[in-house]
Amino acid sequence: MTEEQPAPPAPQVLVAVKARWRQLVAIAAALAIVLPLAWMWWDSRMPGTYSVMDMGYVDAGGGPEPMGSMAAGHAGHEMTSVADLVADPGREPDVVVELTATQGQVTLASGRKVDGFMFNGTSPGPTIEATEGDLLEVRVHNDDVGEGISVHWHGVDVPNAEDGVAGVTQDAIRAGEDHTYRFVVDDPGTYWYHSHQVSHTQVLRGLFGALVVHHRDATQDADVLAVTHTYGGTRTLNGEEGVVTEDVAAGAVVRVRIVNTDNGAAQAWTSGPFQVLAVDGRDVNGPTDVEGQRVSVPAGGRYDLEVTAPARVQIGSTALVLGEDPGEVPQPREKLDMLAYGEPAALPFDPTDPDRTFRYSIGRRPGFLDGKPGFWWSINGHLWPDVPMYLVEEGDVVVMEIENHSGEVHPMHLHGHHAVVIARDGKAATGSPWWVDSLDVDNDETLTIAFLADNPGIWMDHCHNLKHAVQGLVAHLMYSGVDTPYRLGDDSGNEPE
Amino acid sequence: MRNAYRILAGIICVEVVIQAMAVVFAVAGLGKYITDGNVVDKAALESEDLEFTGVVGFMVHGINGMMIIPLLGVALLVISFFAKVPGGVKWAGIVLGSIVVQVTAGLLGHDAPYIGLIHGLNAFILFGSAMNAARLARTADAGAASSPVAA
Repeated sequence: MTEEQPAPPAPQVLVAVKARWRQLVAIAAALAIVLPLAWMWWDSRMPGTYSVMDMGYVDAGGGPEPMGSMAAGHAGHEMTSVADLVADPGREPDVVVELTATQGQVTLASGRKVDGFMFNGTSPGPTIEATEGDLLEVRVHNDDVGEGISVHWHGVDVPNAEDGVAGVTQDAIRAGEDHTYRFVVDDPGTYWYHSHQVSHTQVLRGLFGALVVHHRDATQDADVLAVTHTYGGTRTLNGEEGVVTEDVAAGAVVRVRIVNTDNGAAQAWTSGPFQVLAVDGRDVNGPTDVEGQRVSVPAGGRYDLEVTAPARVQIGSTALVLGEDPGEVPQPREKLDMLAYGEPAALPFDPTDPDRTFRYSIGRRPGFLDGKPGFWWSINGHLWPDVPMYLVEEGDVVVMEIENHSGEVHPMHLHGHHAVVIARDGKAATGSPWWVDSLDVDNDETLTIAFLADNPGIWMDHCHNLKHAVQGLVAHLMYSGVDTPYRLGDDSGNEPE
Repeated sequence: MRNAYRILAGIICVEVVIQAMAVVFAVAGLGKYITDGNVVDKAALESEDLEFTGVVGFMVHGINGMMIIPLLGVALLVISFFAKVPGGVKWAGIVLGSIVVQVTAGLLGHDAPYIGLIHGLNAFILFGSAMNAARLARTADAGAASSPVAA
């Protein structure tokens, strides 16, 4: 007989082995998809409280990363607390203002009632006026705003402790509490103030007002404020709707201060020629007459226009009429390019030889934001909170390239500093130095800005379409050696976005 | 699992239909709002406070499109590994792929309206592939029921 051959496996066994293999492959494939997703979800969740210092990663922009920065503060270097970065405490204030925040039904100047927030019973809140060089003291009381408030002085390069960012430069002012802000207004111009606690709702619903710092030597005959805000989908001008008339004599030269408190850009144009006197509280050098063009005021931005009465300044669907109404004028198609407007002038620093160069590239990608799935804004390819912490030292000349590949415009706002726009898509500026604190960066556009790091602290650098800030478009500029005792996170009571 | 595959594919079909209905509802409502004399600009669009018939359509379209449908697509692919639907993995992959194309085109379309044409066209590809996936599962079910089960 022949040797015994091992019996071939029964067909049932083969099927069973095959089925087992298939199942294993299926499980492996499923895990290969589910596990990374689960990890990304888990990893995106934020602790109950955290410090802004722990967020993201340090980007030194090619400059030195000194000891004593970030968590290495204990390495023998004295850390300065943001709470100690204040104006001269011994100096008497020149202007004292009291602001009381409440929530409830707001009656606008137009008579329309909306649910929201008020300072001193109105929205917009009272206009704060000062003259260049004044020390302004603002005593804020939160009467009944349950989620707390804070006040940020948008565009004023205040000492860091006065910046009003809940969880970064102070704790939110809870209902019943008081907080005093003190700072010197050295730069004449148009500014505004608004809450930086749950700002995406509080600003939208009215917790803001204008701040005007007058020139000591103003040459205009009249000075008119045009604060634009959209309540419940309807645009208003100083709380009024439609056409707002100011009684101004014919021939009078008027400074019109446009303040855009909305989440999107406001378009403004005039019946006759106009000049752009200032942008974001900084005078334009050698302004010239503009005709047949409009200006686009970014969210959070301010444009001071000079017109001669009678004139009509159209701001979106609202209009400011100075003197006798010259009638409606169609919106010009062409936008004034501030990069080529006015006369060039020397800069106070040399941006061609920066100490640090940063990239702030805005994109959009799928992922989890604090556990929520969706398509979120990214900064340099990373989702919040894994975003750059731009590190500088006092005295650094900083260049930042802001790129946008996200499909939408972003009005970028850097706290505590004014930056000069030096190029768009590599093409250098040819006009007056264009200083900004709020800058629209269009989709597929790169704007190069430069600034002097002369105001130590921890400063937000975020999108002023405030919904986008909630969706993760927030980074910070940090000075080495500065620390904050305040905390962010769901359990901290501080929610600056 | 085959049932789950079939039902999930069916839900994706229904979601695509809801998306089309919601966005047309919203655009029609916006058109009427403007016709009635209201002005809509960037600030109004961003204010989250626009009050017109159909405004909810934009919200539904955004939440469905950017959160729910992508999650359903991932779930369909995971389930396809276990569902033993002939061609089931391939079609779940096609469904997920067309979801990726759809969201990308939708977002890019904000700045480049011509991409909206792709968004509209790809909706049919997504609907068709999800429908086909559901049909495959039903056919496989019917096949399994009619063939004699091995003892």
